[in-house]
Parts: sequence; C-alpha cells; structure tokens
Amino acid sequence: MSLTRMFKVLRKDLALGPRSPIFLWAIILPFALTLILQVAFGSLFAAKPRMAVVDQGASEITASLEKMDGIELTVLDNPDALKDQVRANDFDAGLILPKGFDDAVRSGEKPLLELYIGGESLSSNRIILSVTTLDLVRQVEGTAPPVDVRIENFGNEGLPISVRLVPVIMMYALFIAGAFVPSSSLVEEKENGTLSALLVSPVKASEVLVAKGLLGTILAFVMAFMTLFLNKALGGQPLVLVLVILWASAFSAVLGIVIGTAAKDSASMFTLVKGSGIFLFAPVAFYLFPEWPQWIAKLFPTFWAIDPIWQVAVLGKGLDAIWVDLAVSLAIAIALVPVIGALSRRMQRKLVAE
Amino acid sequence: MTEAAIKVEDITYSYGDLLAVKGISFEVQPGEILGFLGPNGAGKSTTIKMLTGQVAPKSGVAQILGADITLDDPAIQARIGVCFEEKNLYLSMSAKENLDFYASLYGIKDPDSIEILRRVGLADRAKDRVKTYSKGMRQRMMISRAFINKPDVLFLDEPTDGLDPVTSASIRTTIKEEAARGAAVLLTTHDMFEADELSDRVAFINDGVIVAIDTPENLKLKFGKRSVKVRMRDGSGVREEIVALDRPDSGDRLKEVVGSGDVLTIHTEEATLEDIFIQMTGRGLVG
Repeated sequence: MSLTRMFKVLRKDLALGPRSPIFLWAIILPFALTLILQVAFGSLFAAKPRMAVVDQGASEITASLEKMDGIELTVLDNPDALKDQVRANDFDAGLILPKGFDDAVRSGEKPLLELYIGGESLSSNRIILSVTTLDLVRQVEGTAPPVDVRIENFGNEGLPISVRLVPVIMMYALFIAGAFVPSSSLVEEKENGTLSALLVSPVKASEVLVAKGLLGTILAFVMAFMTLFLNKALGGQPLVLVLVILWASAFSAVLGIVIGTAAKDSASMFTLVKGSGIFLFAPVAFYLFPEWPQWIAKLFPTFWAIDPIWQVAVLGKGLDAIWVDLAVSLAIAIALVPVIGALSRRMQRKLVAE
Repeated sequence: MTEAAIKVEDITYSYGDLLAVKGISFEVQPGEILGFLGPNGAGKSTTIKMLTGQVAPKSGVAQILGADITLDDPAIQARIGVCFEEKNLYLSMSAKENLDFYASLYGIKDPDSIEILRRVGLADRAKDRVKTYSKGMRQRMMISRAFINKPDVLFLDEPTDGLDPVTSASIRTTIKEEAARGAAVLLTTHDMFEADELSDRVAFINDGVIVAIDTPENLKLKFGKRSVKVRMRDGSGVREEIVALDRPDSGDRLKEVVGSGDVLTIHTEEATLEDIFIQMTGRGLVG
C-alpha cells in the first residue's frame, strides 16, 4: 500500500466534501440537534453568572466564591475598574470588600458592603449573586439562618435529560460523519464509474478504502469533539477524551466502509443504513432511559465505541474504567477487516461485470 | 525485434457460465494502432478489462510491456492510459482539477494540464466544473485524462461514440499523435470508418473469438471485389456497368468505356470493413 497515493485520494475527497450535500449534512446536523435540544432542555446560552471582586483584605467571602463552580469569578485590584466593567456589562455584579470587612462583620459592626449590579444582567443572575453574597456574609458572621430549610428531591435521581441526550447527538455526529460520509462517497464513486478509473491507475482498492475510512474518521472526530464542546461535556481528561473520540470515529468509519463496499448503489446503501439503524442507534436509548436493563445495550456493537466517550466526557472517568469497552470494540473492528476484504473483492467483480 | 507492448496468448474470461472471451491471441507493437472491431457483446470491453488489470483472465497470458498484468503492479499501471466507454469523471471538479488529481496518482509533480487540455480544445474551459460540459467536451476530457501520464500503452474504448463529426475528427487526430509518439494503442470501436482511418491493423472479434487480424488494406484485398462500377449516359437515361479488373480483357473494356465519352462516374468496388465482417461472421458490426 502506498501512503502517498492514499493521501492523494483523501485530499481529493476532502476537497470534494464541501461540494457534497451529505458531507454538509454531516456537519450541520450535530450543530442543529445540539441547538434544538439545548434550547428545549438545556442551557446553551445560559452562561454562569459573572462576578468581579475587589478584595482589599483577604476576605473569606472571596475564597468561598472561588470554590463555587456555578459562578464565574474574576478578582480585580481597582474598585474604579470594577465599576467601569460592571457598567459596561462585562460582569453581572461587582463586589468591593474593604480591608477588615470580615472582622467588622464578626464584631457586629454592620460595615458597608458595596455590591454593584449590571443594568443589562439577567434577573436570575442578579438573584443568584445577591443571595449568594448575603449567605456568605452570614457564614462569616457565624450566625444560623433565621429559618430551618427542609430540602426534598422531586423526580428521578440522576443526570438531567439535557445531559442524557448528549449520546444521541454524539451518535449522530459519529455515524453520519464517520459511517455515512465514507460509505456514500464510495458508493458515489461506484455509481459514477470513477472508482473504475481509479483502479486502472496505480491506485489499489485498499488505498481507496483506507482513504475513505480516514475521511470518515477525521470528519467524525471533528464533529464529535465539537458536539461535546457545545454540550459542555469535555470531561476532565483531555488526552483520554481525544483517544476515545478518535477510536469511536475510526470504529464508525470501519462500519461505513462495510456499508459502502456492500452497497451496490445509493438506493441499496440507504436500505442498508435504514436496516442497520437499530444496531447503530439502539444503545443511545439506554442512556436516555437509565431505568431500562442496561445490559441489553451491550448487545449492540456500537455501544462499545460510544460508551467510553460517555464514561470519560460525561462521568469524568479514566482509562481504567473503559479499557474493556475499548478492547471489545477493537475486537469487533478487527473481525470486520476480513469482511471488508471479501466485500471489496465482490465489489470489484461487480464493477467489471457492469 | 522490439518487444510487443501488448502480448496476449490464448486468454479466456467468463461471466458465470457465459464464456465471453474464448482464447484470443494477438500482439500490439509500440507506435501501432490495433483496431478491435466487433458488435456489442463480442468481448471487446472484457478484453480491455483484462488488459488493464480490472479483472484477471481465467486462463492464458496477458502481458503489458513485458509484465504479467495479473500481478497488479503499480509500476505497469503507471504506464498505461485508459479511456472508458462510460464517461467517469469527477463532475464536481473542474477539468484542470480532474487532470491534476490523476496526475498526482501517477506521481507527476507539475502536470501540464492546461497544455493537455489545449490539445483537445478545452483549455479555455479548464476551470469550469465538468458537470457544465457537453457530451462531446466530456469525451474530449476523457481522452485528455488517458494522456495525462504520457502512456506507453493506450486503451481506448469507443473513444468517439456518439460524437459529432468535428469532435470525432479532432479526437482521431490526437490518437494518431499519441501513436506517432510511440504509444501502442488498442482501440475498440464498432465504427468501421474510424477503424479504417486510424488502425495499422484491425482484429475482428465475434462471439469472444478473433476471426481475422490483418491490415485494413490486406483484408480489403482479400475479401473485396476487384471491379469498378461505371455510371454512363445512355440516351436520355443513365446506366451502370460493373467492369471486372482481373480478367484478360479488363484493360480493353475500361479503355472502351472511358473512350465512349459517356462516363459520369467511376467507383471502385472495394469492400468496407463492415462488408468483410459480415462476410466472415454473418452479422453486422453494430448491434
């Protein structure tokens, strides 16, 4: 196999991509799905409340705010700069803590607390920041709240629906870009006869198939990564995340090559995709409905490629939690290689007979 | 003696139970154009598919430039050019992009795609997508693609099929130039005039078998009639007379006819390649 020729074919496919409706669909669909689902269930545009603090005396309040995941905190040096930036809506609120503030609170002096609210800030953010600030002052004061609060959880315990939808969008991103793009590209080459033209040049069939597979892998990787980014589900281990996305993308591309070599034309390719859809997409339903018996999801091959992404990106787990998934999906991919070989030979025989 | 560019010995190929090519043998020398004539389904395209490495012969030997074509050697593939009957171009790419891409597959670093397109009259449309081309332009594009690697062996499958006379003549000129450069050309066609004009030799293939292979001239001499048809004024009308050229009194009779002053036209009774094909196989070249 010549890598040079393979990359020439890949470069041509990448250049032709933006001229193909299926390629564009593969790019647009995950973005569109993310947008629709986030608008319906999530908080794509609901950024964290932004607060600026000028702390002139190493207050406990600043330390507590820094530990809060739900607030985007910026510490500034200059009170005037803080006011200017709140006025310019760079922050939802600005807090100036004078020197000795904590001691003054503890001694019951009731010192002045300067809290500036941006005029364009959302009401929800104003409430969150105001209440949080007062609660922290009370903590510094060391007094108990004036009421007892009883908290009861309603609804099912677990991740919110907006998070459980991530595998659905991820699956689309991976398998439309990773499987559908290379299979349709291959089928298009067959239908237009350009595959025959390639095969009488020095290019070998294996080089064409690897190029198509790489096309799917690259596109699926980019789309899957973007999907996770948009859904704020990048986990805490970037290298492991890149590894699992890359592997799932390659796995999708292998499935795409199987479909592309098996399909005679576009009609039979769509039939194959529709027919195999249940095997491709069934596992994501089990993320949506965690009360279902989860072992059933493991019967579907794509589970073993998508689950590592879920584990790393959403649950924040590491390689030790996913190595079985990776091993099973690798075994499935290796088992598909001879299948692709046989389908490729059959494809070439059919090309000649036509 | 130079080595044959194409050497075929007793090759066969079958589609399932149907034996499409039944043990044919021939050679094509560098710079020679061999016309492969036969009706649809005679085995022409299957022979080209075997010789271009798309399919392996079931038996026999097929060599291109001295190498066994079944070995699928990229070095040999790099020295052949193929013009398919079906127009299989990347329609979303421009003509120049098509040629540049194929040139890159042959390892050609700076292809002179524009010059090649100029040869087939497409230089001024080089940057237009092929999908905007007419049928004739696409066919010229197909020819130019086959030339991109300056091949030593050219396979041209019906290169002028369905084209207007001007485009056909232009393509035939280009094919002759390639042969003059030294390329061995295997040309399949069922156009007898094209085969006659271009071919140094022609092979008649029918039902998977080569029934004759020779120069067009020899075939015509062998199978044609040695006579002329004379049209003469006859009073107020016109009459025709066939004058044989191989009889002892042929010369005297021709002198007499010409001397009468009534001759309107004289035509040789030379057989066309189609006539010869029909004589040999009982069927025409078309259909």
